[in-house]
Amino acid sequence: MKLSDPLPGAGSRRLALILLKLSLLTLGLLLGAAPVWAEETLRFPGNATPSQPLERLTVHGALDIPQVRPLLEDFHQRFPFISLTYRNLTTLELNRRFLAAQTPSADVLISSAMPWQYRLANDGHAQPLTGARADAWPGWARWRHELFAVTFEPIVMVYRRELSERFGAPQSHAELLDLLEQHGEALRGRVVTYDPAKSGAGYSYAVEEARLSPRYWELVAALGATEAVLEETTGAMLKGLKEGKYWLGYNLLGSYAQNVVASDPALEMVIPKDYALVTQRLALIPQRARHPVTAQRFLDYLISEHGQRVIAERTALGAVHPALKGPGTANALKARLGNALRPIRLSPALLATLDDLKRRALLARWKREFRRWQVTDEGPSPSADEAGSPSYQSASVSEADDEANAARSGAP
Amino acid sequence: MRRPTSLYRRLLTWLLLPLLGLGALMLVQAYLDARHTADRAFDRLLEAATLAIADRVQWQDDQLWLDLPPAALEMLATDAEERVFYALYDGDGNFITGNARLPGDERPDQGQGNRQEPLQGTLQDGARGDTLLYRDIEWHSLALRQGTRRSRLEDWSLQERFEVRVAHTREGREALTLSLLRGNLAYIAAMAALAIAALLLAIRSALAPLTRLRSAIRSRDPRALAPLELPLPRELAELRETVNDLLARMRRVRANQERFIGDASHQLRTPLAGLSTRAELALRQDDPIAWRGALEAMQTTSARTARLAGQLLSLTRLDNPEATPDLAPLDLNALARRATRDAWASCHRDGIDLGVEADEMPLMIDGVAWQLEEALTNLIDNARRYGAQHITVRVTDDPPTLAVDDDGPGIAKDQRLLVLRPFYRGRDGGEGSGLGLAIVDGIARGHKARLTLEPTANDTGLRVAVHFMGDRG
Repeated sequence: MKLSDPLPGAGSRRLALILLKLSLLTLGLLLGAAPVWAEETLRFPGNATPSQPLERLTVHGALDIPQVRPLLEDFHQRFPFISLTYRNLTTLELNRRFLAAQTPSADVLISSAMPWQYRLANDGHAQPLTGARADAWPGWARWRHELFAVTFEPIVMVYRRELSERFGAPQSHAELLDLLEQHGEALRGRVVTYDPAKSGAGYSYAVEEARLSPRYWELVAALGATEAVLEETTGAMLKGLKEGKYWLGYNLLGSYAQNVVASDPALEMVIPKDYALVTQRLALIPQRARHPVTAQRFLDYLISEHGQRVIAERTALGAVHPALKGPGTANALKARLGNALRPIRLSPALLATLDDLKRRALLARWKREFRRWQVTDEGPSPSADEAGSPSYQSASVSEADDEANAARSGAP
Repeated sequence: MRRPTSLYRRLLTWLLLPLLGLGALMLVQAYLDARHTADRAFDRLLEAATLAIADRVQWQDDQLWLDLPPAALEMLATDAEERVFYALYDGDGNFITGNARLPGDERPDQGQGNRQEPLQGTLQDGARGDTLLYRDIEWHSLALRQGTRRSRLEDWSLQERFEVRVAHTREGREALTLSLLRGNLAYIAAMAALAIAALLLAIRSALAPLTRLRSAIRSRDPRALAPLELPLPRELAELRETVNDLLARMRRVRANQERFIGDASHQLRTPLAGLSTRAELALRQDDPIAWRGALEAMQTTSARTARLAGQLLSLTRLDNPEATPDLAPLDLNALARRATRDAWASCHRDGIDLGVEADEMPLMIDGVAWQLEEALTNLIDNARRYGAQHITVRVTDDPPTLAVDDDGPGIAKDQRLLVLRPFYRGRDGGEGSGLGLAIVDGIARGHKARLTLEPTANDTGLRVAVHFMGDRG
């Protein structure tokens, strides 16, 4: 993953312009979000016992401290002899650090940027975890014993009471499309969703939904017709919803929305009944991990029934373990929604989402569909280049930002 | 200490070793076949993936453009969860997009007509006139199978060339190779078991006649010399015939011995009976002069009988095949002169002319002196008994030959072999024992010499010659 890959075939002037835009954007984000981004670190000093020497473990995660803390506390309680350092990084920073360092300091990487984690493993950067638990881990949540999906987080819709009182609450994508087409005028500017051009998460969801059904493009066109507002993060969407600026939010990260909705009676959360995307955090042990044995112990804990129960009961992340059945587990969601759940598959298709040309082509189509029914004064719709200009890297920064915001607003 | 060799074990070894070698070859062949089949099956995935990608390559914004179909990558990952890599390059080898900078196809760009097989991999013509190359590569220490498709845009005016390169790891191929091999392995193992079982049975049945022959020989009466009569395969039938030949010879030898013993006892009985009769006659008389005459006659007879017994003894000794005489260098000329001198006195007394023709120079051969002297004495004696007046002992060189010429009646041609048999008297009226020539023949055989009987140079009388074939001392 090189930031400096020149865009092939582009004129040098345009390239320079793009790079300038890119750097300005990145700089702006860096400056604006600096306090939130400040490296967050959680340390659990270990205590050696005569029978058990001290072990060290460094975990790099794109998973906010409030979400991960219960899990790490429980791990520390079970393995007090492990001196654990957890660093919360953005998905971009996590990936960049891993690829930059000659000897990675992290022993375990956990990230919600599924395509990137998949790419690291695909390129042979991960080492396999063996053992009964790894073997028993469901095949759809694991790749080659190298990549383990440890959480189960649906993508949801959030709406305000005002919406349900006036037009009824949409329970599925089809109902949402009907609602947008029938009451587009009334909902003008009151619907919010991800900007796929600026948010990596929003882009991944767009790729997946476009693959699932061609009707997705009708939905995009309908969103465009209601002049839906495009935000970069779940946090920003939730903020607008809480303030009453928006009545309906489409494609929010369920694990972050859950706590906010629970604390605000004006908000409701819906997991669409026809299909619901599910994103998962992927954990891997780098090939060059300094403490591979301890790292295996940690990952083995993450996929153990006990660790998963902590995830289910004390976090909003959603447990994957097939033996767990209560609320906050994949099984409970599956029992409720059946085949409608569409976990983003751990397959080489994830690599396609990272393809730069692919991204530009998809975003161009997205823009085109979004503006189909819009009455604009501005002349012809902008070209694909404009849509594609911010690279995926900066988009992923936004995604991480999203999580940070959500964490801030979702803290109990 | 060498273990006794076993025909069974030897056959088994020499049949099993090639069989095992053949089995090993079949295994290697089966593995290569399975690998080839798996590669062919999986290369179709590479072909399909490159085709799916090539179909989505367009010209857009003055550059090659690819809307990567995710299915193209997914089809490269089977149940074995292979790692997947792809890249799009333009005609000049510039990287357009992809997740890995895969190595290119080093073949020089060439037309469809004159394509050549690359060193590794397979070259095919795609459906659209594309060229395809499959090969194994090593990329960042991963063993990959790469498929490269060379194609060009099908646009109105543009004919831009480009290359789609995809690769995946070999897990799926290896799994298929193994499962194919496992099927083949069971087949080969069953074949090997059958072959070995058949081999054991075949060797056992092939060696069965040998066992029958052995038991047939073992169960025989040791004195029985009748030929073996049992059906045997050709190779063993030859052995049976050889054994039968040996038995036939033994039968003849025994018949000879029986006849010899019969003849010998007959020969000894006659003079003994004569002695007994003579003594009886003498005892009936009281005249001491008659007694004296009888005693003299008895002395002559007993002397002749003693000589006969001596001759029988030496003949028996000579006929013993296990007694090999110690040959020593000796001078044939001196020996001839010495024997002639010993016999000269008695011949002279009988008015027989005995002479010797021998060189002064020594003629050395390997032999036993007393035997040769005995032979010479026998021959001279023989000639005298059959009425020769002139006897000449000759020694000639090259080959060394000891000959005795006489001017007696000679022997007819058809009798010449028979006279060598003991007690056979070819010439009538003689008073010999019929053992002299047989003894000479025995001595000659002991010296590996050849005995010839022929008329003398002027076609009268008899020449008996011993030709020494061995090296001269």
